[in-house]
Amino acid sequence: MTLQALTLAILVLPAAGSVGLGLGALRVPRRLVQVVGPGTVWVAFLCSLVLFVDQLTNGGRSHDFTYWTWLSSGDLQVPVDLFVDRLSVFMCLIVTGVGGLIVTYSNGYMEHETDGSYARFFCYMDLFITSMLLLVLAGNLVLLIVGWAGVGLSSYLLIGFFYWRWSAVVAARKAFVMNVIGDVGMILGTFVLFAAYHSVTYAGIFAALPKTDSPLLELAAFLLLVGAVAKSAQLPLHTWLPDAMEGPTPVSALIHAATMVTAGVYLVGRLHPLYDLAWIAHGAVALIGTMTALFAASIAIVQTDIKRVLAYSTMSQIGYMFLAVGVGAYAAGFFHLMAHAFFKALLFLGAGNVIHSMNDEQDMRRYGGLWGQMRGTSICFLIGSLSLAGIIPFVGFWSKEVVLGDVFSKPDAGGFPQAMWAIGFATAILTGFYTGRMWWMAFSGGPSPERPVARPHEAQAVMMVPVVVLAVLSTVGGFVQINAGFHPGWKLIEDWLAPTFGPLPWQARDLEYIPTAATLLLAGLAFWPLADAFYRRRIWSVWSERLPFLQRLLERKYYADELYDRLFVRPMDAAAEAGDQLLEAPVIDAAPAGVGATARGGAGILSLAENGLFRTYALVMLAAALVGLVIVFAVRG
Amino acid sequence: MPDYGQIAIGGGTLSSSWFLGLAAILFTLGAIGVLIRRNPLVILVCIELMLNAANLTLITFSRQLQDLDGQLFALMAMTVAAAEAVVGLAILVDISRVRELEDVDELDELKG
Repeated sequence: MTLQALTLAILVLPAAGSVGLGLGALRVPRRLVQVVGPGTVWVAFLCSLVLFVDQLTNGGRSHDFTYWTWLSSGDLQVPVDLFVDRLSVFMCLIVTGVGGLIVTYSNGYMEHETDGSYARFFCYMDLFITSMLLLVLAGNLVLLIVGWAGVGLSSYLLIGFFYWRWSAVVAARKAFVMNVIGDVGMILGTFVLFAAYHSVTYAGIFAALPKTDSPLLELAAFLLLVGAVAKSAQLPLHTWLPDAMEGPTPVSALIHAATMVTAGVYLVGRLHPLYDLAWIAHGAVALIGTMTALFAASIAIVQTDIKRVLAYSTMSQIGYMFLAVGVGAYAAGFFHLMAHAFFKALLFLGAGNVIHSMNDEQDMRRYGGLWGQMRGTSICFLIGSLSLAGIIPFVGFWSKEVVLGDVFSKPDAGGFPQAMWAIGFATAILTGFYTGRMWWMAFSGGPSPERPVARPHEAQAVMMVPVVVLAVLSTVGGFVQINAGFHPGWKLIEDWLAPTFGPLPWQARDLEYIPTAATLLLAGLAFWPLADAFYRRRIWSVWSERLPFLQRLLERKYYADELYDRLFVRPMDAAAEAGDQLLEAPVIDAAPAGVGATARGGAGILSLAENGLFRTYALVMLAAALVGLVIVFAVRG
Repeated sequence: MPDYGQIAIGGGTLSSSWFLGLAAILFTLGAIGVLIRRNPLVILVCIELMLNAANLTLITFSRQLQDLDGQLFALMAMTVAAAEAVVGLAILVDISRVRELEDVDELDELKG
């Protein structure tokens, strides 16, 4: 099997699984669904491993496999080509590896569904993974947009999986609309690039890029950034992500860890030659990431739904990735992407275990005391939490330190990277705090009096194994790159991605060790004693009692939903209403109604002639004959 | 009386206006009968009267112009009249099987 066919197989396998399960949804036996659903993803993972070995041995030479020509119209040449380089293999491994674990886990989590829904679920999951793989493997922007839209579609299907629940349908619709805003940006950006450089393939565009920045380049970069922001749920197109929690928990894990939200980071990374030139758009990436990181972390502090806390933490962590790729520390951003995939999948699947055993209760205030009863899940969840908080030696520590360290040490006359570092630093402390709060509320102490299940059972093996694997990955995964700050060491991720991104363009300074150590200490303090003091022992009253205004502001998520409602939804509704009253009724409805009324009236007059009386007809005939005679004589004179 | 020509008849001639005048009177009687009478049988008779008035006109001009086409056409008209009477009477018989029929104004089912 050639490498070219193998690359195509990565895409075709999950696609075939999805189509097969979709077509045979009601007839495929459950046992077969359990094999085909995750199986195709795992085989795709094996294929990705082969590509990994190839990339490892050939020194990072990229392949551009062209299969056939899709569109050919004058200048516009769109081949169906897959681009395999270090970055896309890196992404493929995460998508299929973490995705495979999540799909396997779903075997157990979705067990209560009917056979039809069960097959439907795996059909959508495989479609999701196919779309994401197409997104990361695409060799041109048009194909990328196909995968991009496919991800939006499958997220829509999965968020609205419980289609009999109104809130799920609304959330799915919201996610879709937000994503389509991004898709429009992507498509327009592609148009601009094509108009300027007459190519849609990465190779063609990069070859045609000018040496210096230009307004056209900035425009393209900003339009593409709209797509990235929407897909990655960054400000200001973020509101769909927390609502996306309406989907089943494995879906949340898939959206947040393996696929979808990382697409924006991937896009900026993939088009890094473009963003390296377009410095304003590039700065905007970093700024948006930083703001989102802080914004989302502050909201996460007051959420009580365990999945929503995790959702806001995702936004916040993606913000870190945007910050990293935004300042040009691409390898750091993708390292954090990998770390986040590990620990966020772990957290969601762990939360899934808890939710599953609690009869679908998601309010953390009604948990408590799970440490004694669900020990395995508790330990794994703790590992995930510590990783999210960035505590040594878990994977989140290493990646976050590289991100913050690289940002801090970037030389910049204006001091912007340092300012962003400060915000990222504050966010790290908040992260420790809300993660600790989540942990103490859900797992420690005694059971809450409102807990729905008195004696929760530990999750079954098919759910526990992926969680444990992810826990192990979150524990040891960070040691692939330990060069952050004051502890120089190997940097395998950076070396691995170097053929794609090149080395970090600036030298890390010694001064880094101060922020590194400070973050470590403060996040740990926030996680452990501070959150403990606030939420378990209640030494201080929680701020919500002292600052009700702040509490409300955060609980309402800074009124973003309300703002969009006022700004877009209501004016749109009002415009529709006005159109109905001013245009629809008097003009559009009136036109066909008038035609109808005229026809009916005319027919009424004409039907008088058809009175059915024989003698009337005879009279008319005779009269007509007479008139005819008169005319004939008159003409002849 | 205007003179539209002479017709040889008996041993002498007669102005064709007499024949045409008779035909006009017959036609008018038939037309009035069709219009004012309600009995379907009478109406059929009146229609025959109108047809015969037309035949008389045809034959008159045929004789006047010494052309047999008009008389042949009159024969044809009689054949058609016979067929028409057959169809008309058959319809009347069929209707009278369903109901008593004294007034054609009762037949207004084709009203639009």
